Amino acid sequence: MGRRDEFVRLVTRGAALELVTAGFYRFWLATDIRRHLWANTLIDGDAAEYTGRGRELLIGFLFALAILVPIYLVYFWIGIEVERFKEFASFPLILAFYAFGQFAIYRARRYRLTRTVWRGVRFWMDGSGWAYSWRAVLWGFFVVLTLGLALPWREAALERYKMRHSYYGDLQGDFTAKPSEFFKRAWGYWVAMPFALILFPLFPFVYAHFKATEWRWWLSGIRFGDVRVESTLPRNAFTGLYWKVIGWYMLASFALGIYFAVCAGVASLFTGGFAQSAGPDAIVKSVLFLVTTVIGYLALMLALNVVIRVYLLRDLWVTVLQHVQVHDIGAAANVAARGDLATALGEGFADGLDVAGF
Amino acid sequence: MDHVAQDGILQQESATALYFDGASSRRRVVRLVFGDALGISEDGAAPALWTYDDIRQVDSPAGVLRVSCLSAPALARLEIRDAALSAELTSRCARLGENRLDGRAVGKIVGWSLAAVASIVMVVLFAIPLAADRLAPLVPQAFERRIGEASEVQIKAIFGNQVCDRPAGQAAYVKLLGKLREAAGLDDTDVQSSVLSTEVPNAFALPGGKVYMFSGLLTKAENPDEIAGVLAHELGHLKHHDNMRGLIYNGGTSFLIGLLFGDVTGSSALIFASRSLVTASYSREAEQNADTVTIDVMHKLGRSPKPMGELLYRVTGKEGGRNLSILAGHPLTEDRLHRMSAEDHPASGPPLLTPEEWTALKAICGPAAVAKPRK
Repeated sequence: MGRRDEFVRLVTRGAALELVTAGFYRFWLATDIRRHLWANTLIDGDAAEYTGRGRELLIGFLFALAILVPIYLVYFWIGIEVERFKEFASFPLILAFYAFGQFAIYRARRYRLTRTVWRGVRFWMDGSGWAYSWRAVLWGFFVVLTLGLALPWREAALERYKMRHSYYGDLQGDFTAKPSEFFKRAWGYWVAMPFALILFPLFPFVYAHFKATEWRWWLSGIRFGDVRVESTLPRNAFTGLYWKVIGWYMLASFALGIYFAVCAGVASLFTGGFAQSAGPDAIVKSVLFLVTTVIGYLALMLALNVVIRVYLLRDLWVTVLQHVQVHDIGAAANVAARGDLATALGEGFADGLDVAGF
Repeated sequence: MDHVAQDGILQQESATALYFDGASSRRRVVRLVFGDALGISEDGAAPALWTYDDIRQVDSPAGVLRVSCLSAPALARLEIRDAALSAELTSRCARLGENRLDGRAVGKIVGWSLAAVASIVMVVLFAIPLAADRLAPLVPQAFERRIGEASEVQIKAIFGNQVCDRPAGQAAYVKLLGKLREAAGLDDTDVQSSVLSTEVPNAFALPGGKVYMFSGLLTKAENPDEIAGVLAHELGHLKHHDNMRGLIYNGGTSFLIGLLFGDVTGSSALIFASRSLVTASYSREAEQNADTVTIDVMHKLGRSPKPMGELLYRVTGKEGGRNLSILAGHPLTEDRLHRMSAEDHPASGPPLLTPEEWTALKAICGPAAVAKPRK
């Protein structure tokens, strides 16, 4: 897997550019991250390639914006109409947005998949975003009704839908992992979760173990034709990563606290106390205070973004890859190229609705 | 170490590479021939010819040179894992790196982003307030009332649905409101108002002409002029369509800022902060204009606006230094008291309510509300 310092430099520079461009650089940063991860993912000795570009994501986002604006206006209007009859009756509208978000997730996956190339042949996807969306909503209800116990069945059903509509050239995908298997391995975490929420230091352990279990189950269910994927990811594989993120988070917060203390000290040196005078002087002071707060806050956010991308994106992916075996790869040795490129509109929706993956 | 060597097909390792033709995933071990164009030949089959100027580098892991060709199938790939051969090809392809995002391209992204940011800031600062001011009076009364009804249902759910209407108090309230309404130049159909029984000392106006006075404020008031000033202030909001203006303004800014910038670098909290900064200054302006209405109306009735300032001061206390003044949606209470005091003229008109009417108004929710003065 590619050089770690290269990735660290990439995301650090990307975070700084995101700041300078008020976030517009995110399309190119997401692209750069994917290009790095894909190019360093080797299957049977050959690396994958990500062929998407930041410009596509930007255009997809602008189109999505043009469609979302009228939808938001209609949403606003319907909200007013129903609130007249019953207070907080507009709540079900949130459901409509949830469904739209699921649609966006499906279409965004289609974009990413059609930009994924291995041995000169691209992956692609058919199926319908709306068909996926109503499945996700109904299964979501069921999960809520069962207090989360039905989660394995939801994930298996949705993954089956996604994988059966995914192809590598003319090789069709499938998902064969049994939800009961996932339930058997993970029900303990369901029991442990309430305790972990009360006894907070337990939480990262439980969550990291659950995530590793989920990844292992998911990967082991993936099929393309006769090609099988198998994962031997140990349950504790992610625990260290999550604790490292928490450690960095505490360190950064501590640094921010010191920074604020120093700022406040300097401010009181200049003016002799913060809360005394009123009038224009007070306004100047509160502007200064706001500016220093914003700078400190931004620095913290940028640092944490880098930390999260390095540990929970790259390192996590490396860990996952180390425990993956691909069986019967020979079935993919002579696959004919098929499938068309999808537009980045789905990614745009996902971005506009805040459901974007990486 | 080397795939090609393992396959054992080749003797002349330095001239071999891997080739994927873009039509199938077959991994072909090929020989490269550097002629006028790059020849890619596999076991005697007719070679593919790639023009050097069309060859571009694409992503690959370290130690591998992977190239595509503009005039070949889009996904055809040539992979060279031998350093000498890579160098040989690199030296012949002048435009190998043109695919990459270089410093100039990044500079262009930054430049356009800054232009976009500047344009959005301009829209938020100038275009949206202008649109709000122009559009709000054009919104049909019926629509405004619908919005008002929607928020009314919510407000009653939060503060309880206990309307105070003891007859004597209600008569005094209607009389007071009528005088103020006429002085403010509003029609009878424009305003509906009632007193809600809650201890929260507040009053507000909803779009479409609903004004609510909370009994908590009546409890704190010491004379009719104090209440009259507050009511006139709320009528001022109605007169200026401040609710609709605020709605258009808030909706517009949060939509623009939130949706365009997305949730990046965890900056949503920052966006929230900057948005509350601009909307607060906008609403401070609206409050000041409503205070102007209070001053005009009270002068027209021959009364002083100062008591309203005193009532507010009694409710909030001194505000300066406690919160960030540029984040406050209202002007500071002491500043408002100061302004009202400056407009204090000796009373030239008759009292707005007789002492009996004032007592009845204070008891509009029942005697208990009077008997329970609170600090």
